[in-house]
Formats: sequence, C-alpha cells, structure tokens
Amino acid sequence: MHIVICTKQVLDPEGVNGYALWGRLKVDESGRAFDTAGAVPQIINAYDEQAAEAALRILDDDESVRVTAITAGDSSAADVLKRCVAMGVHSSILIIDPEVASADGFRTARLLAATIEELGDVDLVLCGRQGSDYDQGTVPAVLAELLDSALVTLASDVRTDGDGVRVTRVLPAGEEVVRASLPAVVSVSNELGQPRYPSSRNRMAARRNPPLEKQAADLLGDDGPGVELVELFVPDVQGHGETIEGDSPAAKAQALFAKLTEAGLLDA
Amino acid sequence: MPDPVLALLTQPEADGLSKVNLEAIGAASALASLLDREFVCAVIGSDVAAAASEAAERGAARVLTIDDDQLARAAGDVAVAAAATAIEAAGASHVVLGRGADVLELVPRLAARLDGACLMGATEFRRDGNDVLVVATIFGGAARGVFRLSGTGPRILSPAPAMAPAPDRVAGRGVDVEALAVPEIADRVTVEQPPAAAEGPRLEDANVIVSGGRGLKESDNYQLVRDLADALGGMAGASRAIVDDGWVTAVQQVGLTGKIVTPDLYVAAGVSGASQHMAGCANARVIVAINTDEQAPIFKYAHYGIVDDALEVMPELIRLAREAR
Repeated sequence: MHIVICTKQVLDPEGVNGYALWGRLKVDESGRAFDTAGAVPQIINAYDEQAAEAALRILDDDESVRVTAITAGDSSAADVLKRCVAMGVHSSILIIDPEVASADGFRTARLLAATIEELGDVDLVLCGRQGSDYDQGTVPAVLAELLDSALVTLASDVRTDGDGVRVTRVLPAGEEVVRASLPAVVSVSNELGQPRYPSSRNRMAARRNPPLEKQAADLLGDDGPGVELVELFVPDVQGHGETIEGDSPAAKAQALFAKLTEAGLLDA
Repeated sequence: MPDPVLALLTQPEADGLSKVNLEAIGAASALASLLDREFVCAVIGSDVAAAASEAAERGAARVLTIDDDQLARAAGDVAVAAAATAIEAAGASHVVLGRGADVLELVPRLAARLDGACLMGATEFRRDGNDVLVVATIFGGAARGVFRLSGTGPRILSPAPAMAPAPDRVAGRGVDVEALAVPEIADRVTVEQPPAAAEGPRLEDANVIVSGGRGLKESDNYQLVRDLADALGGMAGASRAIVDDGWVTAVQQVGLTGKIVTPDLYVAAGVSGASQHMAGCANARVIVAINTDEQAPIFKYAHYGIVDDALEVMPELIRLAREAR
C-alpha cells in the first residue's frame, strides 16, 4: 500500500494571533501578506503533522506500507518535508510553485492531483483538515473530486481494512465510524492526538534524504476554477472591558456576581 | 430574470429548519439583494416537508426538495450528487450552505464538480459587477481575507455564524415546491456506526456557558467548571487544549474547529483566549474572563475580567450562584 501525505508550510498561527492581539499585526505593501514575516516563523501546518502521524500509525502495524509526503510552495517549504521524513515518512516531493501567495486551494489541489497521478500507485491520501493560515479546508475535497476517490473528512482514527479504510470521524453529535473503498482521500482532525517527535538520529537521516523537486508549470494542465486573495486586513478587536477589583479571590467573585446580577444575566 | 442565489439546506429538523439552515437563508437572501437576484431554496434530507414549508414562509421565490432516507447523512457520494442535482435544477449562479460539520465536504466538492469555486467562513459580501468579493475569516479569526472567485460554474459559499439574520417568517406564505428524485448511485462511503444520538441539551443552544482551559492546571479541577455551569443553569465547555489533553470530549470543545456558540453569558476560566477559541465564542453577548495572566489575550475580548486564580475565584461564584437559585 502506498500512502501520500499532503502538507503545507504556514505562518505560525499562534505568532500571527499574538501580533494581532497586541495591535502589531500590519499588512505589507503587497496588501496580501503580513509585515511580521521573519519575526513569525514558518512551520508545518499542525493538522498536516497529524495526517503524517495517522499514516505512520498505519506503517507501525504494517511494514510493507510506503509513505510519501508532498508539498507545494517555495524552496523554504522543503523544511516541512524534512520534518515528515524525520518523523518516519520514506520519501518526499517538493512542487516549486511561484504562485503560492495567491492562497488558491484549487490550484494546490490540481498540483497535488497531477503529482499523485504521476506516482500512479497511490491508494490512500491523507491531508490535514484545513490550513491554519487561510482556514478554508478546500484541498482534501477538491483532491478527491480530481482523483475520483472516495472522501472522508474530520478523521480522529484511520485504519486500513482489506481493500478499504475504516475511519472514525469527529462530528458535533459525537463519533461516527465509516468505511470507504480505496482509493480514498481522508482529512485528519486534531482529535487524532499528538504526532510523534522525531529523534535526533532521524533528523540527521532526513538531511540525507532530500525531496524530489518538480515545477508547478510542468504539472498544471488546463485552467480550472480558483480563488484569489485580493487583500487582507486586521479587524479591530474590542478594547479592554472592565477589570473587577477586590482584596481576595472571593471578594472579586462577589463583585462580579453583583455586576452580572445587575445586568440581568443570571435571570434564566 | 438573472440566475438566482440558492440556499442549500441539508439535515433540517423534523419540525422545520435548523439553526444552520437559517444561517444559510440569511446569507443567501442578503447576497440576493446585493446582486438584485431572487433567492430560492433547496432542501435535501430525510422527511423535509416541514422544512420546505418554512423555507417558503421565509421568502424563497421557489423551493426544490429531494427527500430520501439516504440523505439523512449530508456527506458522501449520494449527498454530493443530490446537492449538485438541486443546484443545476435551480440554475443558481451562487449557492450558500450553512456551517455544518459536513460543509467541509459538500462545499469544495460541489465547486470542483460544477467548475465553480468556493469560499468558507464568509463575514461579508461586496458587490463586484455581477459577482461578489467575499470577505472571510483567516488565521483563526486574527485577520480577514478578501477573495475573488473564478471559474465557469457557480460560486459555493459558506457564511460565518450570525452573518445575516434570516427573513422573518410569514405564516401561510406558499410557493411552488418541486420535488426532485435522488440520483441512483452507489456510495463509496458506508456508515458502520452512526454518531451516538446527542443526549440532552446542546452547547449551541445554551444561554449560559462556562468554559475551562489549561489554566485550571489539572483535569480534576474541571469539576469546578461543571459545578459553576450547573449552578448558573448553563452548560460546560472547553478549550481545544484540554480536549487534546483528554480532560473532556470533543463534543464540549468551543472554537473554530469545535462548537460555535452565541450564549448571553460566556465565562472563560483559565482559558488564554487564542483566536482559535475566540472564533467559537466571540459573538457571546457578555464574556467574563478569569485568568492569572493579565496579559492573556482573553482580556482583550472580555466585558468583565478578573485577574486571579480561577481555582480560587470559582468556589465563591458557585456558592453565590447556588444561594441565588
């Protein structure tokens, strides 16, 4: 069985969040990126790290499984592939795409689908549920359509099962267990649990196993639908509210309780 | 008449439209006014008669239905094919789906299949000729992106919660209801175990929510959250951090990837207030934050803040709330 993990390099959302909350998140001259670049690190999208973990758990149970990680981005995106290889992924492919800033999940899905079709023997594609930068979650589902594969979203557990895959999904109403035929695309949610941390020996080994590089222009066929990020902006966060003072935790609780009662919030 | 805007309504309640359906209708009717189009509804699900009547009473110019037991689930090949059938029958240029768990599947698959493009988390539509620019939340709510969509097919859009209210119901308003047949295809995904039926009240419907986070230090202390929620007649929620740590189940998670809630009162105890979490509760009427770290982002959003240890503040709150009952 051949499993592909699709991964993405993102601006650390915690870093972006921190800048935004203290009013220091500025948009650069292009209008399409933040001016904090450099101060906020580029990291592997955390959901994709969990997709890698899901693939490696399948590999733990069946040594015959082969796992390939793919990303599209600029040359710095090789770092996220190095991370996957250090975790235990066998090989990786970097699609160099000069248009990565357009934030177009349809373009990314077309690049990934063309690469997966070239590999020719892929049974299962695992993706993170969404990118933690643009939060769209477009890629897994568009990829399933382009590859004419079954799709299961929001997995917390993925196991192979003969000629199919058994997936536990996390839904607002609780857990659902489904079976999908192969080939399939499965998107993985954070409930899967902690991804493994690569040992220093594996990190060293990953340096000797660089990604295979491809060019976006060689992979793209006809134009398809897409989205284009025209500009971005930072909304105002409402200012500080009222700080409740008091001599002790209990006194503060009493003062708060009085405020909430007065505001009619405790009538229900 | 130009092509209409379609509200695509999945998994309605047995007695009418769901909250998610109403969000779709609100956004679709706002978009239709912006573009000078009609708005129409398609209800796909199992046992949709009551929902179809309500869609008519909410102002749809036309209502399409696909009623089939297989559509009780809003994911999988049959659901996608049924939704595509409804969009084509409506001849819609723009389609709006409310934010449900399966929107991550339906929205992009429909866009790809119909050669359109899609966007999730829309907070605003801006007219752009005969099309729209879509403003959406990005980076977990820390910023907004303005997006242009391209493609020959329909734009498939999903609004952020509470983007636009649904039109009021006009009792007895009737329009043509056209029933379509469910496509006869085999699904590549089969359900082995359906989600356990939700027990009791739902977090999304609660008027008062008390949430806990890692600031409570250990899982046993989460009992204070439950007790305070109980004493206030509300429900207990959680940050993603303590769900990931296994203190509570994902059903209680408030946030971008959990429940989006809009209670009158939201008490965040030991929650730092990462934008991921705030995306789930920022629309609460009043937010109370209790946290030892006065620099915690949650205080930016809070209407009332207590800078102190939640473990020491909550017992007194619980006592007062119990006394007041």
